[in-house]
Order: sequence, then C-alpha cells, then structure tokens
Amino acid sequence: MATRSIKAEYLKGLWDENPVFRQLLGMCPTLAVTGTVVTGIAMGLATAFVLILSSIVVASIKKLIPAQVRIASYIVVIASFVTIADQVLKAYFYPISEALGPYVPLIVVNCIILGRQEAFSSKNSVGRSFIDALGMSSGFILALLVLSSIREILGAGTFLGYQVMGAWFKPWIIMILPAGAFITLGILLGIALLIESKTKRS
Amino acid sequence: MSLSARMILVLTLVGLISGGFLAAVATLTKERIALNVQAEIEEAIKEVVDDAAVNQVVHEEEDLLIYRELGEDGELVGFAVQATGVGFQDKITLMFGLDATLTEITGLTIIDQKETPGLGAKIEDWEAFLQFWENRDAAGHLALRKPPASTIDKLLPTEINTITAATISSKKVLGIVNLSLERVRELIKQGKMKPEEKDGN
Repeated sequence: MATRSIKAEYLKGLWDENPVFRQLLGMCPTLAVTGTVVTGIAMGLATAFVLILSSIVVASIKKLIPAQVRIASYIVVIASFVTIADQVLKAYFYPISEALGPYVPLIVVNCIILGRQEAFSSKNSVGRSFIDALGMSSGFILALLVLSSIREILGAGTFLGYQVMGAWFKPWIIMILPAGAFITLGILLGIALLIESKTKRS
Repeated sequence: MSLSARMILVLTLVGLISGGFLAAVATLTKERIALNVQAEIEEAIKEVVDDAAVNQVVHEEEDLLIYRELGEDGELVGFAVQATGVGFQDKITLMFGLDATLTEITGLTIIDQKETPGLGAKIEDWEAFLQFWENRDAAGHLALRKPPASTIDKLLPTEINTITAATISSKKVLGIVNLSLERVRELIKQGKMKPEEKDGN
C-alpha cells in the first residue's frame, strides 16, 4: 500500500474519501437523526467512539485472526463498543439517548465502521488505523453537522435549540420530516460532485 | 494447531473478552440508568399532580400504572395514571393526574412518543395541546373539539382541543386517556381505588 503522510491519511476522510459525501456510506443515521444539530452531533460522536476504538482493536489483533472468521470477529468487537456507547449514553446523557432511540444500537450495522476495518485496519498498523479512523470520524461528524444545521435552521428556525430566525420566519416542516433529509442530502451530494468536477478540470 | 481449532479458539476468546467488558459496563451503568428512568417518571408526576411528594403504586397491569399521590404532610393530593397505547407512528406513553376525589383530570404530560416531527409530535407541546387538559371532567368520556377553540374557557369540561393537522395523534392520546379512565372507574367499583370522600356527601 502506498504510504501517505500522516496528515494526508487524516485529511482524506474529510473530503477525498468523506464517508457520506464521497463513499455514500452510513446513510441510515445520516438521514434519520439529522433533524436537530444536537442529535446529529451526538450520533457523530457515538459513531466516532466506536470507529476509533474498534479500528485500534482490529489493527492490534489482525494477525491472530484467521481470515475465515475475520468478519465475525470484527462484528463482535464493533457490537461490544456500540453496546458500551449505548449504555453510557443511557446512564449519563439520558435525554440524548431517548432522542436517538434505536439508532445507537444500529451503529453496529453502519457500513463505515465494518468498511474501515475490512479496507484499512486489517491491513495497516495500529497508528495508521487510528489516524484513518480519526479522519473518517471527523468527515462523518462534519457531514452530519452540515446536514443537521441546514435541516434544523430551515425546519425549526433554531440552531442547537436557540432561535436564529426572526419572527417573520415560518418553519419548513418538511425539512425535519424524512423527505427533508433526502432533499438536503441530494442537494449536498450534487454540490459535492460539482466541486469535484470543477477541481478536476482545472 | 489445525485451522478449525484456531477459528474456534479465536472466536471464543473474542466473545469471552467482549462479554467480560460488557458485563463490567452493564454493572457500572445499571444503577444510574434505573435512576434516570425513575427521575423521568417522578418529574412527569409533579407536572400533573400539584404538591405530590410521595408516590405509592396502587395498581399495576400491562400498559397501566396508577400511583396514589401524598403531599408533604401525608395527605392525599391526587392520583397519577401512567398509560401506554398505540399512537399514529409508534406507542405513546403518557401520564395524567386526577384530583383526590377522582372527578377531575388535573393535567396531562407525554413521557414518550415518536409521532411525526412538527405535526403529531405537537402532543408534547404546551401551547398547542397540553394546556387544554387542565381541569377536565373525569366522570365520563372526553370528546375532541374540532376545529379547536382558541382558549380553554371556550371548551366544555368534557372537551379536548384537537391539534390542527394532527387529528389522528390527538385522537390516539384521547383514546388512551378514555380507556384508562374506564379502567379507573372499574377499579373504584371493585374497591381497589378509594377516592377521598367529598365534603358534605
């Protein structure tokens, strides 16, 4: 595998290989919990916790695991971290845990996580896997932040619960409904592709 | 070591180590999670029964939990009814208060709901819905007022305002409350719940 600089290894997750905008992975939480910025960020952080720790564990034990049972082993590791995240949220951040509902346990099936173990951590050193997971997590949080900001501001007139739109503003309820998630994501993907094609041409 | 033996060994070890970690985390968080759930219930009771200080469970069945509420000095201040029923999207869990004589609903609050954001989810909203639940008649069936009245004074004591554009969610909440009231009346008949005697009766 070509050796990238540590900085490039981190930065690729933010844009070139952004899990949401470039790889289209992890669409379920991206669409489902971005109705408000708080839930979007909380989901991003919970996913980051699981991704970073499971990448470190998978990279550390990769040589001990026979190839035939690697996926099963990775899933057990991922599921354990997801359960820990879920329990900690329920114990210390109860309202956020209530708002995220079943989407925290569903991090287990987030393709970003298993995808990074299979494509990266199982072939790279612990240090590089950590940087890669950090970059991918940042890219995921960034994507959820952009999406949830647009949806909360237009759908409720607030940002992080604070009123940002004046009294004249009538909230577009569709933006906090599932349809609003698809519309916003579609437009953002279009913009991402446009930027990509413009930078390639020049 | 043969490949199958290695596969079994590795998967067993991964499972055991993960299981151990999970058991530890569950032990550490169990108590706090139970406290959070309890605090949520207690807060909901305080919202619907004024001056409630001590909660005693008087009746428990599937989807219905009735508390007897005592004030600071141990006097009966009312009852709190926690009920769960089917909403438009998913189950709705709510709590309503009854006065000590069991003739009036003192207030309603929603504990858990997954109704449509911006529409049905307004059942949690004080301005749009909950304010119209104070001092409702608990003797018979409550009915929905549609189109909604502007203030609570314009409603009959047996009427509840409908949320505009969320008639189904309003109906579902009303249905849960009406069903629970029926059960409460049955329990009074069976002598399992005792209202405070009215003065002069």
